[in-house]
Amino acid sequence: MTYKKQKALVGYLFMAPYGIAFLCFLVLPLVVAGALSVMQFDLTSKETTHFVGTQNFVEVYKDTYFWQALLATSRYVIWMVPALVITSLGIALGLNAMSRGRNMVRALIFLPGMFTIAVTAIIWQWFYNLEFGFFNYVIKTFLHGQPVPWLSEKSLAMPSIVVMALWWSAGGASIIILTSLQQIPKMYFEAASLDGANIWQLFKNITFPLLKPVLFFVILTSTIGAFQMFPQASLLTNGGPELSTRGVVQYIYETAFNNYRLGYAASISWILAAITMLFGMFQFLMIRKGVRNVS
Amino acid sequence: MSTKASMILLLVICGVIGIFRGDFSCGKLAATQKTEISFWNGFTGPDGRVMLEMIRDFNEKNPDVNVTMQRIPWALYYNKVMVSGLDDRGPEVFVIHASALTRMHRAGILAEENSLFAGTKSVPTDDFDSYVLEQTMFDGKHFAVPLDIHPQGMYCNADMLKASGMTNPDGSAKPPETREEFLKVAHLMMSPKGSDHPDTFGYALTSWPNNFSSLVAQFDGQWLDKDGKCTLNHPNNVKALEFMASLRSTEKLIPPPDNQMGWTGFRQKKVGMVWDGIWMVGDLKNMPDFHGIGAPIPTIGNHPGTLADSHCLCLKPNLTPKQREAGERFIQYLSSHSLKWASAGQVPARKSVRANPEFQRMQIQYAFSKQIPFMKYPPRITTLFEMGQEINLAVEKVVRGNAKAQEALDIANVNAQKAMDRDEETQKDAKLSEAAKK
Amino acid sequence: MKFLKWVVGIFMSLVAFLFISPILLMAMTSFKHESDVLNPSTVVPKIWTFENYRNVLSWAEEAPFGKWLLNSIFVSCSVTLLVLLFSSMAAYAITRLKVPGGSQFLTVVIFSMMVPGQLFLVPVYFILSKLHWLDTPFALIIPATAGGFGVFMLCQFMKAVPTAIEEAAMIDGCSLAGVYSKVTLPLIAPALATLGVFTFIGSWNDYVSPLVFMDSVRNYTLPVGIAMYQASYYTEYGRTLATSAMASLPLMIIFLIFQKQIVDSMSSTGLKD
Repeated sequence: MTYKKQKALVGYLFMAPYGIAFLCFLVLPLVVAGALSVMQFDLTSKETTHFVGTQNFVEVYKDTYFWQALLATSRYVIWMVPALVITSLGIALGLNAMSRGRNMVRALIFLPGMFTIAVTAIIWQWFYNLEFGFFNYVIKTFLHGQPVPWLSEKSLAMPSIVVMALWWSAGGASIIILTSLQQIPKMYFEAASLDGANIWQLFKNITFPLLKPVLFFVILTSTIGAFQMFPQASLLTNGGPELSTRGVVQYIYETAFNNYRLGYAASISWILAAITMLFGMFQFLMIRKGVRNVS
Repeated sequence: MSTKASMILLLVICGVIGIFRGDFSCGKLAATQKTEISFWNGFTGPDGRVMLEMIRDFNEKNPDVNVTMQRIPWALYYNKVMVSGLDDRGPEVFVIHASALTRMHRAGILAEENSLFAGTKSVPTDDFDSYVLEQTMFDGKHFAVPLDIHPQGMYCNADMLKASGMTNPDGSAKPPETREEFLKVAHLMMSPKGSDHPDTFGYALTSWPNNFSSLVAQFDGQWLDKDGKCTLNHPNNVKALEFMASLRSTEKLIPPPDNQMGWTGFRQKKVGMVWDGIWMVGDLKNMPDFHGIGAPIPTIGNHPGTLADSHCLCLKPNLTPKQREAGERFIQYLSSHSLKWASAGQVPARKSVRANPEFQRMQIQYAFSKQIPFMKYPPRITTLFEMGQEINLAVEKVVRGNAKAQEALDIANVNAQKAMDRDEETQKDAKLSEAAKK
Repeated sequence: MKFLKWVVGIFMSLVAFLFISPILLMAMTSFKHESDVLNPSTVVPKIWTFENYRNVLSWAEEAPFGKWLLNSIFVSCSVTLLVLLFSSMAAYAITRLKVPGGSQFLTVVIFSMMVPGQLFLVPVYFILSKLHWLDTPFALIIPATAGGFGVFMLCQFMKAVPTAIEEAAMIDGCSLAGVYSKVTLPLIAPALATLGVFTFIGSWNDYVSPLVFMDSVRNYTLPVGIAMYQASYYTEYGRTLATSAMASLPLMIIFLIFQKQIVDSMSSTGLKD
């Protein structure tokens, strides 16, 4: 055996553990998902399993609950993404302008991201509670207003979920933006300041253009993430009121594990995946570009 | 810390815990003498603690058996019982609501239990109401033993009743029995009078679909017609739902729907009367200074009536004879000791236990049990879950004032029927393919 | 300018306070008496008590908290260890041994990273049920090692590290496996630390997989255990908050120790779902 062949053999041995895991739990599931989506597959009556072609997809198209769920998910995306970008950009700019105690503040803002979503939801459910929640306590005692039904009023439920999600994830996003803020050479600002530019001009002409790639990255990843919204709503409102916050992933979960219709759930998964992957393609191209830059 | 040291540390942690928690796979070897029975249910509230005491007692009296209990909130429970049952990892004994048996039976996770009703140490068939027992039978065979009956009923704050002049000759509080009485008292209990934002209410809705279903029973409504087609928009169902909506819209009697006053308000003495399940009894027990009494739901519709269901004890199919025998013994034990279970907030399914004076001293349970002749169980269909979701949604829309009863129920009916049709269609396919195989 | 810095500093401190106040409130309230819990007018408990903690821990039959904690530690440690091992081995093979097809494989792996996680929920469940792995820790550990992020990240890092030392070791007669374990791993230690912390947190906080793959209460990990506990005892906020506080404590400690790696991992990568 030549040295080259030997090296390749060892190389494949080194690749094997990950390669097998990759095949079994990334490639194979995709194949299974594809197969399930064209099958009638009900866990509770397996003897009825058979090939149905595109019938599931036709049913999804006609399913008002699917469209309702997609609307809920879209509402979450539309609220969440801009809110996240603006909040985290603001925090990053603030952190960047700080001289002392920056690391401390940064750590504190990031801390909520360390909590599991289950705990996060418990804390916020308690805050939003109509009778004895913290927010309504403040409204009743200091503002002398009527208690606000944060989670049971259709127009308020989704924004309430978004506020919780912001608390949970703004820290992470702002760290990403901050990192790229810190990479902007100081001399750019110094030169512009000498020319008499004010803060707004500095931001508009230097900071923002240089931040564009990272903002784009944050928008993309948070959009893809927001399309996966599930425990945020299911733990806080359980999809209510009137199913207005039940997102697609929760609908998939319920279809698969409450109604036991794995085939139909797989079909919905594919449709959501197709929508998400439109955004994912951009991300992939960006990462590819990054890979090429490094190598 | 170096990379290697960190990774070795991780490995050590994994190894130590892995051995420490070895009961995961080889725990069963340790206890070969005893027949292990795992018992699953959704009694996560105070009732679970009573069940736990009963299990301890059973384990003491039956040294050859070891029953361990697992509780999961009902909503998640059904999923777990179903998928583990289908995978043959399920518990030996488990609790299923009578209304959910149909689906579980079709999925094949229920064992036939005829043997439990035969023989000397059996559960006597004639000790059950035939209506209740029917719910647990398929093609004339028993598939479960009903442990209890849990109807909806009315809880009243006795002090508030008395303050509104509702007293018996002996001075005790007298719950309203008719529609007129009920509405009158509920109005009287509101205070301050004529306010747009009263602090105290006479009545509040609790679980909207349950409140609705009890009314449907009273208004002679129906979920299915003779041919098994959905009739959620039956005129009498509409009438029942319209009554519910009128409590807010025209009677101005109940708190706004978003104001989650229901049971919490009742506990806080801000609501005089609520309709809720008998299992809430346990919650009142913790409040010694609260004078709560139970009564049948007043006759709002054509006659008395209420929604009810039963916790049924089921066995896993294909048990070893030893397990099966132990499981049956455990079910017999629970059934014959259901008086203790009644104290957790249930009506025993067995007539002989209900005749026990000790049960009749449980005021709320006994009052609720008077409704047994009028109670209505949910329909026995495999798509009950889907139908229930449709009913929930329709009732929610109407109570919030976002839709009229008729239109909401029309939509619910179409959707529920669609789910039934789809289910039927797949079963047809199954029969065809079965026939083809033959 | 200095004045402005002060204003920003104070403002950001306020923001930071806003972000941690829910955590402080949770911690404080968990030490209140049950009767005091629902009274938000006093933040600091009137009487400090461990009652809630004692109640949670003494009803092990109701909420096997210790078991959930052990499960969480076991699963998260195993996932972290396997991800570090598998990813670094694969990255070594791709970047150092330059196996034929390696770079194409890397492209596929990167491509797989954009497939949304929800798509895997149903099929992985199906596969696990065929393997009879449902309700065992395997269900939480093995599928979690398939994610492409680790390989991607380590490849990136290794490409930037010079190969001179490794080549020298080879000339000294070190075997390929020896080079990997004695030279390469220490070289990429910073990246491994970042990846390890990132993986650990992700695994520790994972809610959906244990929810779907685990049936027995004793096999739950903390997130699902807590959510279930809360669903059962939603009226007993003191206990629920005590459970939450206890479940969050291990991660708080890890955060204090590994702050730098955690922040690094965030800045180099990503957001959560």
